[in-house]
Amino acid sequence: MSRVNQTLIDSMVDDMQPVAPLRANYGWALVAAAAAIGALGVWLTAGLWRGGYRGDAEAIFYAANGMLLVLGAAASASAVVMASPGVGTRHDGPRWGMAMLAVLPLAAVVSALAKGSTGAILNDPYGLECMAHALVASSATAIALTLWLRRGAPVNPRNAGMLAGVAAGALGSAAYGLSCPIDTLEHLAIWHTLPVLIGGVVGRYAIARVLSW
Amino acid sequence: MKSEEATLARMMRAAQTGDKRAYAVLLSESSAWLARYYRRRVPAPQIDDLVQEVLMAVHAKRASYDPARPFLPWLAAIARYRWVDHLRKVYRADETELFDDSAVQDSEEDVVIARVSLERMFGALSDNQATAIELVKIEGHSVRDAAHKSGQSESAIKVNIHRGLKKLSALIEKAE
Repeated sequence: MSRVNQTLIDSMVDDMQPVAPLRANYGWALVAAAAAIGALGVWLTAGLWRGGYRGDAEAIFYAANGMLLVLGAAASASAVVMASPGVGTRHDGPRWGMAMLAVLPLAAVVSALAKGSTGAILNDPYGLECMAHALVASSATAIALTLWLRRGAPVNPRNAGMLAGVAAGALGSAAYGLSCPIDTLEHLAIWHTLPVLIGGVVGRYAIARVLSW
Repeated sequence: MKSEEATLARMMRAAQTGDKRAYAVLLSESSAWLARYYRRRVPAPQIDDLVQEVLMAVHAKRASYDPARPFLPWLAAIARYRWVDHLRKVYRADETELFDDSAVQDSEEDVVIARVSLERMFGALSDNQATAIELVKIEGHSVRDAAHKSGQSESAIKVNIHRGLKKLSALIEKAE
């Protein structure tokens, strides 16, 4: 070993203090707490849609919100693990989840085109409002994941940022889904999935910038 | 290697709790491991700098090691990350000698090393991308020389370096 390396090692050993290791379980608990804060915020500010939990909603309401929840969980799990890198670790799961969710807007567009009712998608008076609320509900998860990843050592900051954004967008949208009483395919497939797309883009380009080390 | 992995993981766990003696041994062993790891893909005069960069990263990011997971894949991921970063920065024409002591390398090579090696990452690039990065970023040739040697145009060399490095960045955790 070179003398420079030995000198460097000596100085690092002198400087060394105990650290709390980043255990994945802590990360998942942190994300769960942040998502719960988002859901609590929705409940306190907008209330819950009683039809949703009474079972009065259309099946697509449960399917869409369930898909958002599963995607949010998968993307969060991968983003948390990315803080502790390791050759051989795979992060393919969320991509399949994203592909699964993309079926919803595709189905809505195909269905609208077949019926000649694309206006139902474009002229939704509540769409932007729902999307904005979902993005606000996603902010706690986005902050929690960003802070977690900054403490760690993600070796693919772009992918880590994108997954953090997708996770936050999906969980925020699922949280706001508890409050939104509109249970049509067109509304859910477009306006409740857009926060995921926006989260992914923001994560890929903005969050990734603060994750480089 | 299994025993080396287990020993290093145990020392890292001890270091995270503040055991300075274990940390000193861990860093020395990691330094030697990293020097072997880089030997095939990094010109000899640059190995020390790169090893030091990785050691500093290990020190700064030691909390990111999850004690429930193996140590060497964690170290290799950091080594790859710093190496790709290094390839982006380095453009030197005067340090072209690779220290290729394959007898020593082969005697110590095992499944873990093979799975986490830099060669694996290069294998995922197209031939033109690997050649462009090898000639310009590792051997230190100019773009014009690299174009002449490889039969690619200068523009193709630049594009292949750019795309190749982007691909390497995405491959850091890939083992297959």
